[in-house]
Amino acid sequence: MASGQEHPVVRVMNLSKSFEDKSVLRDVSLEILPAETMVIMGGSGCGKSTLLRHMIGSLYPDSGHVELLGQNINDLAEEQLNELRLKFGILFQSGALFNSMTVGENVALPLREHTDLDEQTIQIMVKIKLEQVGLRESIDVMPAELSGGMKKRAGLARAIALDPEIMFYDEPSAGLDPVTTAEIDQLITDLAKKLGVTTVVVTHEMASAFRIADRMAILDQGHLVKVAPKAEFEALRSSAATGDQAMDTIRQFLRGESQGPLTARRSSTGYEDDILSVV
Amino acid sequence: MPATDKTNHRKGQPVTDTTNPIRGIEWAGEDHRVAVVEAQGDIDLRRSSRFQEELLALPDEHPREIVLDLSNVPYMDSSGVASLVKLLARLRRDKVPLKLTGLRPRVRSVFEITRLDTIFDIRATVKEALES
Amino acid sequence: MNEQKRQASVLQLIGRKFLNGLSSFGGTVILLGSTIRWSWRALWQRRKRKGHSALATQIVRFGVRSLGIVCLVQAFLGIILALQMAPALSPWGQQDKIANIIGVAGFRMLGPIFTAVVLSGFAGASIAAELGSMVVAEEIEALEAHALNPIRFLVVPRVVATFAMLLALTVIADLMISLGGYLTSLVVLGPRVSAMYWQRMQDQLRLRDFVSGLVMAGVFGLLISLIACHQGLRVRGGAEGVGRATTNTVVYSIVGIIAAACVFTAIFYVFGF
Repeated sequence: MASGQEHPVVRVMNLSKSFEDKSVLRDVSLEILPAETMVIMGGSGCGKSTLLRHMIGSLYPDSGHVELLGQNINDLAEEQLNELRLKFGILFQSGALFNSMTVGENVALPLREHTDLDEQTIQIMVKIKLEQVGLRESIDVMPAELSGGMKKRAGLARAIALDPEIMFYDEPSAGLDPVTTAEIDQLITDLAKKLGVTTVVVTHEMASAFRIADRMAILDQGHLVKVAPKAEFEALRSSAATGDQAMDTIRQFLRGESQGPLTARRSSTGYEDDILSVV
Repeated sequence: MPATDKTNHRKGQPVTDTTNPIRGIEWAGEDHRVAVVEAQGDIDLRRSSRFQEELLALPDEHPREIVLDLSNVPYMDSSGVASLVKLLARLRRDKVPLKLTGLRPRVRSVFEITRLDTIFDIRATVKEALES
Repeated sequence: MNEQKRQASVLQLIGRKFLNGLSSFGGTVILLGSTIRWSWRALWQRRKRKGHSALATQIVRFGVRSLGIVCLVQAFLGIILALQMAPALSPWGQQDKIANIIGVAGFRMLGPIFTAVVLSGFAGASIAAELGSMVVAEEIEALEAHALNPIRFLVVPRVVATFAMLLALTVIADLMISLGGYLTSLVVLGPRVSAMYWQRMQDQLRLRDFVSGLVMAGVFGLLISLIACHQGLRVRGGAEGVGRATTNTVVYSIVGIIAAACVFTAIFYVFGF
């Protein structure tokens, strides 16, 4: 049991969300503790990105709520939410750089808009942040000229411009080669471990998940099926199938196998009836 | 009450710390031209401007050397570090050495992760800095 | 069975189009509200530097690019008006009155309307495409995540720029349409008409002709930019969505411009302005 000091930084309470009758999240509850790295996993369309978007306040839940740093973000007025937003950073899937500005201007933007720092200090901070992600040479480059991995690193530099207490990562390794993925994972781990940044990562890359996680959560069809320390998932991955439907589903996902309950679900959707009904 | 302060901080209400980030300056050395500057409190976005202002006034007093004691600084963010870079740049021009001492682990990791630990002259204690 | 289905789907389509149009209209009105609120706040804000440079960029981009086309279109309109009106007026020997006609029609109506149509193609379409691509690239979400309101940051400078540009371009348009008429009278209608041209125009035009044209231009400017921003920001689903937003912007803008012109002309007529 967590002590009084270990108040969760992110708390998702009974969150449900549907889009046009399609239920995407069903009664999801999750707590993320200070300085820990939580990796949320699941197949495509399992609702993990939707969950992330609720955590950062860009989607509003049908029921339930999200607390960040002890505040219910669904109760906040826009100005209060904006104040809270300065305390967390997000790395978007594409990096989401502002294409009309150079890399340096992208990183400087939050500093210029939200602080009273003078231009010299801002320039120093921009260089510090870009050095951190290994992009100092690209300070005057336009985003369109960057590769996918560089865009993500630049996006990360911008996300940490205001030294956030919480970092959210949306599929940080999607579309990257293994070496670049490992580099990004290292940056995530450095921020989390050296600076004590509370970290939430949404991903479907197993290797990367096991590299960075303290705890993991698995989301399947909008349900949170298991939340546990990494070691438990490692043990589950290497153990043999037991016949327990839920555990076998997770195991298949962790191992990335093509045979198992996950794929069985897909093939048992009335193919025979469907194809015979044509005639 | 410090305990209340902490909870407030966590809840996101800005606790404006109005104390001077520089607690005091002592002049050491045989010629009394070594400025030993003691910083205090978190040096973050809210206090960096004041921190910088105080520090950048130092070169006007023509010190031979500056020793900045950070042992009472529990946390420093990159705006604090950037302020120190700015000071260092000024001092390098005047050929005045700057030494940082008493970095707590959390502050030290900020220097490490920004790879500035190689640029600054970092010493364990004020005593060590003065003797070197 | 199939016939019934098709009828139902046609009805559905009409219904969906109608609802879509309604939600576009409503959304644009709401956007107008937030834009006014944020512009008001920006006026009293202590930090203005950033906004100004963004605004200047926008004005230069739309203004300079559309200037040539506006001049060309308006000169042609002046020529057309002069050539069409001259035969109708000649039986009464009143060809010199074309200056009066061009003055009223140009300053009150054709100047603002056609400038607005040109600008809805230039500024409107490019605003919608630009904002649409920003939505697709998660840039809008990123702005919000950095506590930067997209309306303040993106919509306000574009609306203000389009508004200001349309006013400036309308003044130029008024000049060009008059000039087009003058050149026609000089070359085609003979010295008797052209010698009287500027005098006749001065006799006819009152300040209110000029002002009512500018009022309309201002309204068109708001209309185009708000429709464009709204269509751009509500883009869903990749490149296809961006294309649709661009087309919609131009279509809705032109319909909006003509409808607004009709309403304003009626209002001016009733109040004798």
